[in-house]
Amino acid sequence: MKRYLFVIILWMTVTGSQAEGTVIPQIQTMLAKPATLCGRFDQTKLLAGMKKPLLSNGRFCVVSGKGVVWRTLAPFPGVLRLTRDEIVNYSGDRVAMRLDAKQEPTVRIINSVLFSLLAGDFGQLDSLFSIDGSVTANSWHVALNAKQPGLAKAIGAISLDGGTYVQTIHMDEASGDHTTIVFSAIQTGDAALQPADAALF
Amino acid sequence: MRNRLALLWLLVVSLLLAHNAWLWVGQRITPDTDIMALLPVQQRDPVLQQSFIHMVDAAQQRVIVLIGAADWPEATRAADAYLNVIKTQPGVMSAAAPTEQLQQAWLTIFQQHRLALLSGEQEQQLRSEPASWWSDAALRQLYSPFSGPKLGAWRDDPFGLFAGWVQERAQETPVRPRDGYLYVADAKRQYVLLSLTVHDSVFAMGTQKAVTGLLTQAHGAAFQATPAADIITAGVILHAAAAGQQASGEVWTIGLGSLLGIILLMWLTFHTLKPILLILLSIIIGCLGSLSVCWMLFGHIHLLTLVFGASLIGVAQDYGIFFLAHRLSAGPQRSSIDLMRQLRPSLTLTLLSAVIGYLGLALTPFPGLRNMAVFSAVGLIFAWLTVLCWYPGLVSANSLRSGALVRWYGNTLRLWPVWRNQLRYWLLACAVLALAVIGISRLGSNDDIRLLQNSPPQLIEDQIKLSRLLDAPTPVQFYLVRGASEQQVLEREETLKHALDPLIAQKKLTGYQAVSNWVPSAATQQHRIALQTDKLFGEALTTLARQTGADADWISQTRAHLLQAAAPLTVEQFMQAPASEPWRHLWLGATVDGYASIVALRGLSQRDLAVVRHAGDGQAGVQWVDKVAEISGVLGQYRQYMGWVVCGSYLLIYGLLFLRYRKQAWRVLLPAALASGLTLAVLGLSHQPLQLFHVLAFMLLLGIGVDYGIFMQESDHDHGSAAWLATGLSAANTLLSFGLLALSQTPALRAFGWTLLSGITLVWLIVPLFRKDLLHGID
Repeated sequence: MKRYLFVIILWMTVTGSQAEGTVIPQIQTMLAKPATLCGRFDQTKLLAGMKKPLLSNGRFCVVSGKGVVWRTLAPFPGVLRLTRDEIVNYSGDRVAMRLDAKQEPTVRIINSVLFSLLAGDFGQLDSLFSIDGSVTANSWHVALNAKQPGLAKAIGAISLDGGTYVQTIHMDEASGDHTTIVFSAIQTGDAALQPADAALF
Repeated sequence: MRNRLALLWLLVVSLLLAHNAWLWVGQRITPDTDIMALLPVQQRDPVLQQSFIHMVDAAQQRVIVLIGAADWPEATRAADAYLNVIKTQPGVMSAAAPTEQLQQAWLTIFQQHRLALLSGEQEQQLRSEPASWWSDAALRQLYSPFSGPKLGAWRDDPFGLFAGWVQERAQETPVRPRDGYLYVADAKRQYVLLSLTVHDSVFAMGTQKAVTGLLTQAHGAAFQATPAADIITAGVILHAAAAGQQASGEVWTIGLGSLLGIILLMWLTFHTLKPILLILLSIIIGCLGSLSVCWMLFGHIHLLTLVFGASLIGVAQDYGIFFLAHRLSAGPQRSSIDLMRQLRPSLTLTLLSAVIGYLGLALTPFPGLRNMAVFSAVGLIFAWLTVLCWYPGLVSANSLRSGALVRWYGNTLRLWPVWRNQLRYWLLACAVLALAVIGISRLGSNDDIRLLQNSPPQLIEDQIKLSRLLDAPTPVQFYLVRGASEQQVLEREETLKHALDPLIAQKKLTGYQAVSNWVPSAATQQHRIALQTDKLFGEALTTLARQTGADADWISQTRAHLLQAAAPLTVEQFMQAPASEPWRHLWLGATVDGYASIVALRGLSQRDLAVVRHAGDGQAGVQWVDKVAEISGVLGQYRQYMGWVVCGSYLLIYGLLFLRYRKQAWRVLLPAALASGLTLAVLGLSHQPLQLFHVLAFMLLLGIGVDYGIFMQESDHDHGSAAWLATGLSAANTLLSFGLLALSQTPALRAFGWTLLSGITLVWLIVPLFRKDLLHGID
């Protein structure tokens, strides 16, 4: 049924791992699993053909059962909201892009992968990725490789570092673009969610 | 002389047996079950035919299976179990796996030409939005962690245009690869899509049996793996198998029922087995003869021909019955050879009129009907020859014994009124005429293709669910686009799509599939490249560089890099790429008079058909193709055409009868005409719309009715009691066989059977009314 063959369009972020070996259960025990997780992110992008790295920062929230809000504050403000059936990109109050599951069925998969990734819930990701990991006393490192060559080509290699929470995500794309996201100032609990972000759910 | 004829016939019959043995045992022939084979091969627009073949071939050999469950792992578990069963018999069906190489190669061709590929929305925005809007959007994406759909490096597509185009293309189907499966979902379930390819002809009964058996087994395995699985199956072969199964079942019930009825009646009439064997002999030789001749003439035989042929038993018996009824009433002093000599003219006349009746069918351009006509006419001739050559030698004066049933039935004729030129008869005639006129004036007509076949509700339901989930276009209704060159075809597709876009906005369609979606016309490609060069590669790129701290070198390098992908994409390049595989059937390419392609429509509902079909009105080279309407049109055309053939046959037979009966010929023909008129009236009064198969039955009714008329006119030596017996036996048998046809699940056969049920009963009742009035002379 090549008729319906389509390249999967995965978002640049992505992903998790799988429960092979003993590393994953160890990491799972180290990770806190709060219902609400918010914090600051700092992103560094190094793009093919561009000498200077591009820096941006903002805050993010992962709310269990609801979704993810990603608010870039500088240098260009923008909000991305991911729920089970929808991805919406706001520029100010205007919707710059909206994609729903009815239109694009992979939205649900993308969102669940992303959610699992930010929450460090690697067990959910074993169908898409194979994982290598190492653990020290209070930190861990995992490298994710997409099982499907097509997907691997689209998203490249991903690695994550963390302790109680995910601290760094690093992505090396086959195209030569590199992205590093560092998380800090992690807060948990209902109070962590700012009203402006809560209003988006 | 008589003996030599019998021996000669024995030789012919031996050859027939040998040929049949060779066909069934040596060649292992199986009947066709393809309903489309019953339809005329039209000598018409070859490009139109080609387009239809393109669309149907793309679908015909495929069985699509959707295996769903509430969560994905359960669905894949059931799908694995299902596939494992399919794989046990690789000779029957094979499953196409989404190959990874193909996924990787998919984008390559488009990436090389990405500057010419824009989604409709973004093309619009390029015209309307200023350069700053584009640089803002690019920067927002650049600094956001989730930069949207991204294919390749950022500098390959800084404004997200190619990604937008790919996203738009992805909308052409809701099916996505996922974990090495194909995935589709609705709000309740997630489905694995399996595409199975059947290797042999889907219309061969052997293939159907193998496929349905394997699918049932696979279903079982999937349910065992996931008890709550939802399995949806669709494919041409499933409908063909259901139709074949139904028809084979009916061959048994109708053929066997007819045969049993005849045997019982014969036994009650003649009180010996010999006539039964004699009549069976003539029928069997008739059937074997038909099969041989049909096979030699056509090289195939349709299952529906056999179903129709099963009812031939009801007519082929007439000759034998006519002789036997006379043998019964003739005295023992009369020799069989002498009796046959006396009956031969009437037997010949009945054969001629029946064959004329059947040959009317052969005048239609329907291959299936010609098949039936030849099958029937040859069968009758062979049965007739058997009676003529063998019966006198096989039936002696003392072979048969009369019984109580015959005596009782013979007496009924004396009680039957005879038409006289009296007021009360004319009043009755007026009443019948009035009834007929009222009934016929209420007659409607129906030429729907679905009359030919009705699939089980489960199959239809699955089909509906499947098309809702997959949002696939219908293969029988589409636009055909023609032009003098490839470019003209692509440009005309674009004009047509432009006219269809408002219908998508109004939700009358969900989309269209066309080669120009993938390869825009050269003019469009140039226009798009110019749009980007003008708006994005100057000011917008400079703004991007300033904001990101890049230098002038970066600007010129990036511009050069982007322009590398500005070579136009051609249809030929696309067709050679793996990505075109699902769309190749849309491109007819070079045809006898230029180039042609198909624009297929998704989400087309019958309700909106009237609007959608006119969207291309007035556009050069654009033609709406509707195979359903076309077939219905053909059925309607031939319903009318056959009506005239029936009327013509009446005239022809009247001419034939006039040679023998002169001014009394009307007495032979009128019963059939009256019965037909009244049956039409009943159809009208019971709101059954007239269809082709009613008209075909009227043709047959003419042949049979004339038989009875001739019987009654010919036998005056015994006050008509032998002829009355022959008519009664034949009519009862015919009713049994055709009565069973009226029980058929196929609407067409049911109409056919029902018409004869009513018509034959009426002929039987009416025919003695017009017998020669021996007491009062002829009016």
